[in-house]
Amino acid sequence: MKRISSIVFVLVLTLSLVLAACQQKPAEPQTIQIGLQAPLTGDFAAEGQWAKQSVEVAQELINKKGGVLGKQVEIVVADDASNPKDSALAAQKLISQGLKEVIASYGSSVTAPAADLYDANKVVSVGYGCTAVRLTMEKQRPYFFRTAGRDDTQSEFFAKFAVEVLGAKRIAIMHDNQDYGRGVAEDAKKFLQPYLDSGQAELVYYDAITPGESDYSAVVSQIKEINPDVWFFTAYYPEAALLLKQARQAGYAGLFVGNNSVPTPEFEKIAGLDVIKGSIHLNEPMPQFLTYPASVEFMEAYKAKFNEMPGSIWAVYAADALNALVAAIAKAGSIDPDAVAQTMRTMTDVQGITGPLMFTERGDRKDIPYYAYIYNDQGQLELYYPK
Amino acid sequence: MQLLLEQLTNGLTIGSFYALVAMGYSMVYGVMKLINFAHGDFFTLGSYLGYTVLVIGSGWVTRTFGIWGGIVVAILGAMLGLAIGGLLVERVAYRPVYKAGRLPLVVSALGASIFISNGIMAVWGPRFQAYPQTSIPAGTLRLFGEVYITDIKLVTLIVSLTLMALIYYIVERTLFGAAVRATALDRETATLMGINFRSIILFVFSVGPALGAMAGVFAGLNYSRIIFTMGWGYGLKAFTATIMGGIGNIPGAMIGGILLGILESLFEGFVSGAWKNVFVFLILIIILIVRPTGLIGEKVAEKV
Repeated sequence: MKRISSIVFVLVLTLSLVLAACQQKPAEPQTIQIGLQAPLTGDFAAEGQWAKQSVEVAQELINKKGGVLGKQVEIVVADDASNPKDSALAAQKLISQGLKEVIASYGSSVTAPAADLYDANKVVSVGYGCTAVRLTMEKQRPYFFRTAGRDDTQSEFFAKFAVEVLGAKRIAIMHDNQDYGRGVAEDAKKFLQPYLDSGQAELVYYDAITPGESDYSAVVSQIKEINPDVWFFTAYYPEAALLLKQARQAGYAGLFVGNNSVPTPEFEKIAGLDVIKGSIHLNEPMPQFLTYPASVEFMEAYKAKFNEMPGSIWAVYAADALNALVAAIAKAGSIDPDAVAQTMRTMTDVQGITGPLMFTERGDRKDIPYYAYIYNDQGQLELYYPK
Repeated sequence: MQLLLEQLTNGLTIGSFYALVAMGYSMVYGVMKLINFAHGDFFTLGSYLGYTVLVIGSGWVTRTFGIWGGIVVAILGAMLGLAIGGLLVERVAYRPVYKAGRLPLVVSALGASIFISNGIMAVWGPRFQAYPQTSIPAGTLRLFGEVYITDIKLVTLIVSLTLMALIYYIVERTLFGAAVRATALDRETATLMGINFRSIILFVFSVGPALGAMAGVFAGLNYSRIIFTMGWGYGLKAFTATIMGGIGNIPGAMIGGILLGILESLFEGFVSGAWKNVFVFLILIIILIVRPTGLIGEKVAEKV
C-alpha cells in the first residue's frame, strides 16, 4: 500500500511538472539583458564588488529614464574569480544564456581569454579594468571594446611627468612580472629612452618582484641603497602597500609613484596614513574628481544607495561600459551584435560618467586624460598635476 | 658591507617565520610520517584569530592591556585556539584513517587544508584584512649605520629564536623529548618500551599548530595584510625548509628555515627579485642530490 501511494505521488509530481512546462510559452523577453563579468571572489574581489555596485547604479538611472528600446535593462552577473581559467567559464556561462552584450572584465590576463570567447561567439564585450596594450593591438577582435585607457597612455604620462615636472634625475622602475605590471614598466622605459639618451635622467633600477609575498625587505634594502629620486611601481595595491610600508620602515625617504591600480581604500588600510602621505599616484580621472553632469548625477545616486563613493575608477568604467552599450543599442535600434559593434565605433555624441564615450576602430577608448594625484597629510587624495 | 648586513637581518627575520612553521611540519612528520598539508592553514587561522582578538570591540584588548599587552593576549589567544584546533583536526581527520595507511592520511590532510582555508573565507570573507594600525607598535630601532629594524620585527626575531631554543631543549635534552624522538624512530618498539603514544600525539598536534599560530600573528603584526590563502605560500616555503634541513628532524627544520630565509634575501637583494623562487628551489634540488636526507638528516637504514 505504501509502495503504491509513493508511485502515485511520483507520477502526479511528474505530470504536474510536464504540465507546467507546457504552459510556459516561449515569451518575448521583457527586458534587455546585458551581462556583467566581474571578479566577485579571488584577489580582486573588492574591485568586482565595486564594479557590480556601480553597474547597478547605472542600470537604475537608465531604467528610471525609461530603459532602452522601450524595455528595462536587466544585468546578468557572472563571477570570474580573478583568474583566467574561471574567466573562460564565466564567459561560457553568459554566452550560453544567449546574451549579446556583456561588460567584461577586470585585469588584462583575466579579460583576454573571455574576450576571445565572446568574439568567437559574436558577443559584444566591453572591458573596464583591462589596460594591456596587446588586448587591442596584438590582434583585431571586432566585438571587443574597453572604456579604460591603455597602459602606454599611462607610461607616456609617467616619463614626461617624472622628468619634466618632478625633475627626477635618478629613476627606478619596478614591476611584478605579470602581464599588466610588466607592460606598464616596459612602456615607461621606452618613453623614458629619449631622456636617458640625452642624459637628462638615468634609469638606476629596473627589475621585478615576486608578487603575493609578504616580506619585501630584501628588495627594499636594495632600493634604499640605490636611493632613486623617483621610485615608480607598476603593479597592484597589495604589493605596493607592503613595499612602501617596509621601505619607509627601512628608512627610504624618496618619492614613491604608484600606477593606476595602487591608490585604493585597501592600499590606504594596509599601508596606513603615515606611510601613504606624500606618495604620488598616476591615474585616470578619479571618481571623486569627475565634474561632468553625468558624473555628478551618478555619484549622487551611488552615494544615496551605498553611502560611499565608488572604490576605484575601474568600477566607474564598468558603469560607463553599460552606458556605452545602452547608447549603442538605442542608436542601432536593436541588440544585434554586429549593429551594436558598428555603432560603438562611429558614435561621437554620447556623454559618459568619465567623459565622452568614443571608440577607435580597434576598440580602444578615444581621448582619455591622465592625472597625478598626491596623498595629503590627512590621507586624502589631491590633484597634483596638471592643475 | 652595510647592505650585506642589512640583507642578512632581513633574511633572518623571514627565516624565523619559515622555521616556526617548519618545526610544526617536522614534528608531525617525525612522529606520524604524515605530511600535514593543513599546517599552512593553521598558520592562517592563527593569524585570523589574532586579528579577531585585536579588533573585537574596536580595539578593546589594546586599550585595556596596552599595545604590547594586547599583542601578548592576541598571540596567547591564537596559540590556545590552534592548540585546541590542531587536536580537533587530528581527532576528526587523521585518527579515523590512521590505520588505513599513509596515502589516505595524506588525502585526508589535503581535505583538512581545503576545509580550513575555505572555512576562514566563509567566516572572515574573501578580501584582504589588515591588522589595525593602532595595535601595532610603530617604533623603529636604528641598529647601526643606516640599518633600521622595526620594534615588532626585533621582537618577532627574539621571541622566535627563544621559542626555537626552548623546543630544541625539550626535544633534545629532556626525557619527554627522548620519548618523542624514540617514537619518531620506531613507534612500535617505543610503545613496547612503555612510551605513551597518545601523549606524544597530544604534544605534536598541540605544540606544532600553536607555533604556526604564533608565526601567523607575527606575520599579521609585521605586514598588516592577511588573506585566507596566505597559508599556502608560507606552507610551501616551510615545507621546503623542512626538506632542506632533513624531514622529521626538529633542529633541521629550524636551520632549514633560517637558511632558506637568508638565501632568499641575499638572492633577491643582490641578483633579482623575480627569480627568487627559481633560485630557492634550485638550491633545494642541489641539496637533495648531494644529501638526499637533508642537511642534517641522519642516514636511516631501510626497513626490511
